[in-house]
Amino acid sequence: MADIKRFLARRALTFIPTLIGVTFLAYIIAFAIPANPAQAWAGGIKANPEVVARIIKEYHLNDPWYVQYYYFMKGILTNSIIDPRWGYPVMTYMLSRFPITFQLTLFALFFLIVLGIPLGIVSALKKDSWIDALVRTWALVGVSVPIFWLGYIFIYVFFYQLGWINIAGIPYPKVHITGVPIIDAMLSGEWNIVWENIKRFILPGFTLGFAGIGVIARLVRNSFLEAINSDYIYFARMRGLKYRRIMTHALRNALVPVVTVLGLQFGGLLGGAPITETVFSIPGMGRAMVDAIFSMDFPLLIAGTFLVAIIYVITNLIVDILYAVIDPRVRF
Amino acid sequence: MSSPQFREPLIEVKDLYVYFYTYAGVVKAIEDMTFTIYKGEKFCMVGETGCGKSVTSRALANIVPSPGRIVKGKVIYYRDGKPINILELSEEQLREIRGKEIAYIVQDPSSALDPLYTIGYQIVETMIDHYTVKDWKEGYKRAVELLREVLMPDPEQRIKNYPHELSGGQRQRAVISIGLSNMPRLLIADEPTSSLDVTVQAQLLELLRRLVREHGLTLFLITHDMGVVAEMCDRVAVLYAGNIVELAPVDEIFKNPKHPYTMGLLRAVPNPQADIEKLEPIPGTIPNLIYPPPGCRFHPRCPFARDVCKREKPPLVEVGPGHYVRCWLHAE
Ligand SMILES: Nc1ncnc2c1ncn2[C@@H]1O[C@H](COP(=O)(O)OP(=O)(O)OP(=O)(O)O)[C@@H](O)[C@H]1O
Ligand code: SF4
Ligand SMILES: [Mg+2]
Repeated sequence: MADIKRFLARRALTFIPTLIGVTFLAYIIAFAIPANPAQAWAGGIKANPEVVARIIKEYHLNDPWYVQYYYFMKGILTNSIIDPRWGYPVMTYMLSRFPITFQLTLFALFFLIVLGIPLGIVSALKKDSWIDALVRTWALVGVSVPIFWLGYIFIYVFFYQLGWINIAGIPYPKVHITGVPIIDAMLSGEWNIVWENIKRFILPGFTLGFAGIGVIARLVRNSFLEAINSDYIYFARMRGLKYRRIMTHALRNALVPVVTVLGLQFGGLLGGAPITETVFSIPGMGRAMVDAIFSMDFPLLIAGTFLVAIIYVITNLIVDILYAVIDPRVRF
Repeated sequence: MSSPQFREPLIEVKDLYVYFYTYAGVVKAIEDMTFTIYKGEKFCMVGETGCGKSVTSRALANIVPSPGRIVKGKVIYYRDGKPINILELSEEQLREIRGKEIAYIVQDPSSALDPLYTIGYQIVETMIDHYTVKDWKEGYKRAVELLREVLMPDPEQRIKNYPHELSGGQRQRAVISIGLSNMPRLLIADEPTSSLDVTVQAQLLELLRRLVREHGLTLFLITHDMGVVAEMCDRVAVLYAGNIVELAPVDEIFKNPKHPYTMGLLRAVPNPQADIEKLEPIPGTIPNLIYPPPGCRFHPRCPFARDVCKREKPPLVEVGPGHYVRCWLHAE
């Protein structure tokens, strides 16, 4: 236990440079855009020059970039940066949208796990069968098909043609515990809201997870095959262990690398969220970031980037801990 | 001469052929293999690397690794005097025999143990799946006793260790415990000490000898070390390129070797009985078993090779009581 505390402390220290790096890059990119944000925020060409001057002063827009960055990060950390368009603190605004994105990512992750892992196992057990071919194709198609295209195809089929799903609004439960609608609905037992959320998120979740499912299935297939052909499984058969137990040994070993990749995929899913949310009009963080780009609202954009980076880093930490839990060879 | 004290057969191998179907071609790993292991004896098999010792031993419980197949032959196992044709059993019947009646100690203990489970767990599951202990609790007690029996230091602690936390010698002891856990009738030890240093080797061999004596097991020991043969065995079969070339009681082999290959082997190792100091490697290389040499497989390396040796395969003939040789020099 002392080990794990030291490990967490050490990892937390490595967060700092990562977060600085990510926000810094985002800042430089936003800064490099050759446009006058102050004018845009103040209302465009017809903006009142006084307002523009106030904005320039408040956001330090005439200072050198490193001074701007300093004030900006300070503002983010103390949550005192006010969004120029909405007048909310940017972090508050982004955080309020986070639960929706989180819910979307959970749906995608759910598909990654419940489809990706079994498909991988079946294609390993039935090597070179049609399932194996399907998984191989899926992995290839998944990474080559753009999310928005897939999203529109699904909307066309399941919304316009079949009418099975919703693509408007978010069904909120009456209570607010975690802020994530489906979790709160489950906690308060509002099962119709749970169902509505499923109908609302199942397709975007699948779309977002589509590429990952193929990747995970392929990975599970390969690592399961490797496990099955290992010496310890052969020895397990020589010892006359039962089939079920042998499979458990193989599966547990096969899942060790999968946990890592699932963690990385989670980060990738967050990255894919802006497009999915836009296509399915889900009011999450990703959607807010896309909007922010269009309106040159870079304080909001960088706040979003900062949050995504934090989530990514935390996910990695969880993966590292899980990794040590399932693989005794890994030490903190 | 023919070890008259052991007359009741435990397992008979008759005219066995094992081929490996690889991309490069059909590897004729074992051909025309016939021998009997008697109850209570210590039977040895020696030969160079790749000559088919492990494959032969795997065939005894019909667990030849893929792409290997037993293409011909019989393996008869005697349970309470009743013959059982191993090659005709169902997978489940085989499972019940493997690890319980015919148990293996494998060549490489580091890869034979599942890295994700403690060695205690792996010993106990071997007993649980054969119903030789009532439950896990009793199993762990038994595991501690077993580890103590194989002279594992501090067995109560060791059962909680993962394989990577043990030394090579300790891992091999764990594997030996697994082999002994169900008190098998036939214990197959495939070079149980080849990966260990000399002192541990001697200790483990002494241990095996004691266990066989105390528990009335039958031992099938595989080695490439004539010194081990001299120390451990009652009878020995010398393998060359998938054929038994000589089979005799151990004293007979050392005093009166008949086959040119056996003679070479005895010169190639420090002979504990004949005190030969100089080591002479047998000239030539191990033959390719996809295109084995025609006639006697040893003829390209044999100093006595004659015309007939290149054309026709010599039969295995009895040249003295229980002393068999496969060589034209001794086939009248
Ligand atoms: N998985 C496999 N695929 C193809 N050929 C194999 C395979 N396993 C064994 N063989 C063939 O069978 C022959 C006998 O192998 P085996 O493992 O029985 O040798 P061995 O006598 O145990 O050698 P060693 O002393 O190195 O353990 C080898 O020459 C090899 O060509
Ligand atoms: S049969 Fe011929 S080649 Fe083979 S070992 Fe005997 S003498 Fe040598
Ligand atoms: Mg071997």
